[in-house]
Amino acid sequence: MTALPDAPPAVAPPRPPERSARPRSRGPRLVRRALAYGFLLAVALLVLVPFGWMVSSSLKRNNQVLTVPIEWIPQEFRWSNFIEIWDRIPMATYLGNSVFLSVAITLLQLLTGSFAAYGFAKVRFPGRDALFLAYIATIAVPWQAYMVPQYIMMQRAELTNTYWSIILLQAFGAFGVFLMRQYYMSIPDELCEAARIDGLTEYGIYRRLMLPLSKPALASLALLTFVNTWNDYMGPFIYLTSNELWTIQLGLRSFVGQYDAEYAMIMTGAVLSVLPIVILFLIGQRYFIRGIATSGLK
Amino acid sequence: MIASNSVGRAQGRRRFVGRTAVAVALALAVTACGGGSGDETGDGNVTLTVAVWNLAKTPEFTALFDAFQRANPGVKVKPVDILADDYPDKVTTMLAGGDQTDVITMKNVTDYARYSSRGQLADITDAVTSTDTSKLAGLPAFNVKDKYYALPFRQDFWLLYYNKKYFEKAGVTMPSQLTWDEYAKLARSLTHDEGGKKVYGTYHHTWRSVVHAISAAQTGGDQLGGDYSFFKDQYEMALGLQKDGATLDFGTAKAQKSDYRTIFESGTTAMLPMGTWYISGILQQKQKGATDVDWALAPMPQRPGATGMTTFGSPTAFAVNKRAVHADAAKKFVRFAAGQAGAEAISKLGVVPALQSTDITQAYFSNTGMPTDELSKKAFQPDKVVLEMPVSEHTSDVDTILNEEHELIMVGDKSIDEGIRSMGDRVKSEVLN
Amino acid sequence: MAQAMTRSAPGGSPPKRPAWRGILIGWSFILPNFLGFALFTLIPMLAAFALAFLKWDSYNSPEWVGAANFRRLLSDENFYVALRNTFAYAGGHIPLTLVAALGLAVALDRKLRGVQFFRTAAFFPYITSLVAVAVVWNMLFNPTAGPVNQFLHALGVDDPPRWVASTDWAMPAVIVTSVWRDMGYYMVLFLAGLQTIPKEYYEAARVDGANTWQRFWKITLPCLRPTTFFVVVMLTIQSFKVLDLIVVMTDGGPGRSTLVLSQLIYREGITEGRFGYSSAIALVLFVIVLTVTVVQFRLNERSSTR
Repeated sequence: MTALPDAPPAVAPPRPPERSARPRSRGPRLVRRALAYGFLLAVALLVLVPFGWMVSSSLKRNNQVLTVPIEWIPQEFRWSNFIEIWDRIPMATYLGNSVFLSVAITLLQLLTGSFAAYGFAKVRFPGRDALFLAYIATIAVPWQAYMVPQYIMMQRAELTNTYWSIILLQAFGAFGVFLMRQYYMSIPDELCEAARIDGLTEYGIYRRLMLPLSKPALASLALLTFVNTWNDYMGPFIYLTSNELWTIQLGLRSFVGQYDAEYAMIMTGAVLSVLPIVILFLIGQRYFIRGIATSGLK
Repeated sequence: MIASNSVGRAQGRRRFVGRTAVAVALALAVTACGGGSGDETGDGNVTLTVAVWNLAKTPEFTALFDAFQRANPGVKVKPVDILADDYPDKVTTMLAGGDQTDVITMKNVTDYARYSSRGQLADITDAVTSTDTSKLAGLPAFNVKDKYYALPFRQDFWLLYYNKKYFEKAGVTMPSQLTWDEYAKLARSLTHDEGGKKVYGTYHHTWRSVVHAISAAQTGGDQLGGDYSFFKDQYEMALGLQKDGATLDFGTAKAQKSDYRTIFESGTTAMLPMGTWYISGILQQKQKGATDVDWALAPMPQRPGATGMTTFGSPTAFAVNKRAVHADAAKKFVRFAAGQAGAEAISKLGVVPALQSTDITQAYFSNTGMPTDELSKKAFQPDKVVLEMPVSEHTSDVDTILNEEHELIMVGDKSIDEGIRSMGDRVKSEVLN
Repeated sequence: MAQAMTRSAPGGSPPKRPAWRGILIGWSFILPNFLGFALFTLIPMLAAFALAFLKWDSYNSPEWVGAANFRRLLSDENFYVALRNTFAYAGGHIPLTLVAALGLAVALDRKLRGVQFFRTAAFFPYITSLVAVAVVWNMLFNPTAGPVNQFLHALGVDDPPRWVASTDWAMPAVIVTSVWRDMGYYMVLFLAGLQTIPKEYYEAARVDGANTWQRFWKITLPCLRPTTFFVVVMLTIQSFKVLDLIVVMTDGGPGRSTLVLSQLIYREGITEGRFGYSSAIALVLFVIVLTVTVVQFRLNERSSTR
């Protein structure tokens, strides 16, 4: 197999920006904007219907949640659910554990992922692309297939029932490497060459050039890793036994008994557990800003 | 990927792969022996670890632990709390890793068959032979080639719950024993509209046992046998009710994850065939004021001409881990839970103990909120409780097939005859071959 | 495959640098991640692949059975059913999610008041509780009372599909739901990719008189290729190992109409304790995905050198 694709943008070289205002009439523009808003709003509402059900359920009694047909508006609004849940399970502990795990794993993933990605994208050495392909292909193996061998290894290393097991398991995935590599690919090689001529080492290029240039990718990787860790249930379930180590997802499942489930409590907890992600998402969007890639040229 | 080192000579490669594979796997098996540590606490005191599900929501475990600790001052019970949802998956993984938790709760008989056949449970046959276990319901299910690896402490069976309000309104009393035809007729006549809301005559939950286990119990059919014609009458009854709108249709119930508790407690159904575990559930909900349903119990309907009351059920048991650190204390606990003291402790919570006696039934019905009528008490003492699903090495494979075909019959994708035929064909070709 | 990979040539190494230096520097970047990956993922995975040639119940010593697990696979109807369903799912899920995610990203990559709200809304399906997803979508797809079929009725369709209550239409229903759920996730990736396209290109194209559609085809798509490639590969992999949504929404049913390979792997392994057989299925899944991925890499390579 020959070299894997580098994809420098195959487009005409940029022209100097022209900010001169083109003549445009304001009328149709306003109409178009209104239409766009109307359309987006309609789509957004449709998309949010299941979340609406979650919120509605979080305000009901347990035996009013799974009704047929669905009752969209609770018979009585039990806001007390949002207070009760803190007494029923140690929510604060669980949330704290989830935050700790998600932050630790996200940081490690960002750091090692972007670092390795630089090796895969900008350093050329034999065997690089084959190794990369093997990396990616392993994502395809469902975790359930190697869960038991992995558990036995962890048990042997006496890491089960500690945070180490989850962190070591999830922080080094190939996903981040792949994502960052693709992003680096779209940063022109000429930039790196110029930096090399200026006397920067490869590590210097990574730190001084690539990292700042790849903020949007780092932001999206951070967000997605955080969300996936935050929502992961099976990993913590298998590895964390002591109650004081449990994450929020395990906490929510503890409302499911052998023969019954407290659906309202589960939905209350689910609504609460979505909040940190929403905050993160709103913050993370600050980094989705165009033009960083070229601003580093000079 | 493993083959990458071999140089193309097929035989050499195969040998290499073979050796590597065995080496890796052996490493797995060997490593599995280590790990864990006993927590002996100095002065002869023992800390017994017990794997249970959902401790906070399952008060009978705590009740048993408290009672046991009171009776055995030297022993402290430390529960290993595992979520109920995927309990067997975690236990399987833990045991594969060489876990040393002393006592393991067997959620159902199928899991028990699996662990015992792998040799993961300690032989406790002497606990059965040394005492009188004739009153311990569900015990035969744990007999594996005349050896026992677990003792049941709880035995749930199925009966008929009904909403007294709808019976009074319709001016009918629940007969002391229904046949399935009478039951279906009653369900149709009880279906009505109440203030714009539909009330179903009965509600059949989406589990296949509602059709399969009950017909197997009452006809003597074998669910592992490969011939399922004995399901037919029950299917005709169930599909008939569904067609006439006397019960919520299966497709909707399944897709909407309908909850039998919600259906019964909100007065959406007049009758509900269900297991005895739900008794403690209703008691709790009524105590909390979450429902005002006025309920009572009746025996499961029977086939025409049947003598006695036959239903099905399933036991829950404790077993001793073969790698238990405190095997003796563990065995003591298992016997305690299956004995008189254990039964008393859990029946106070509305949980049906495996050990049956008139004292315990009386104590059970003296719980606050229990219905007091004679029929309810009669329903509670069936003549015969058949195991929900027989145990063999094929149990879970057959279970999967029966589930899939059951779904197809109930959503109308296959006719009853087609479905029953393909159950038989598939079980014979995929499992029993 | 393994040989082809080890033979792969260095990607046209630049002059003046000795090869060993490249190797050293390259590996020094890769190593931190690779160590963790190899130790905690690769080794257990290789062990699982080895299990494919063994009989193992997770407890007793494994037994060498050669290709028996694979022979069993060939005569296992469940395997074929799951394989077909997995391909059907992937065939629907990959293109639809790709288009939806790209469309969302392009639509929401602009300075618009409240755009943050819309982006968040688009991401919400991915973080909505699966139970809620299943209950609400199954309600929408309800054969008689569901809005989807009521709409179809209004359009004049007399005999609308029974969706999740039918063996033929359950998979399409699952695909629609999964596209809805995943589009926001991949939108985030596209959004990041869009930020690499220099504003100047668009300005220049505008001066040349290109309309929105032409700008999308001539600038956005080509510049986005590395991201698109990443999304396509990830989508493919994730589609082939789909599990959780299906388990909660239909649990493989009705019958076996939505049973997928991951589910079969899970069932045969953890549930039934046939870890060798389960690993054999996993190995087949791995080979399938690897093949598809290699093809995708090749295609991408060809189109990027064109």
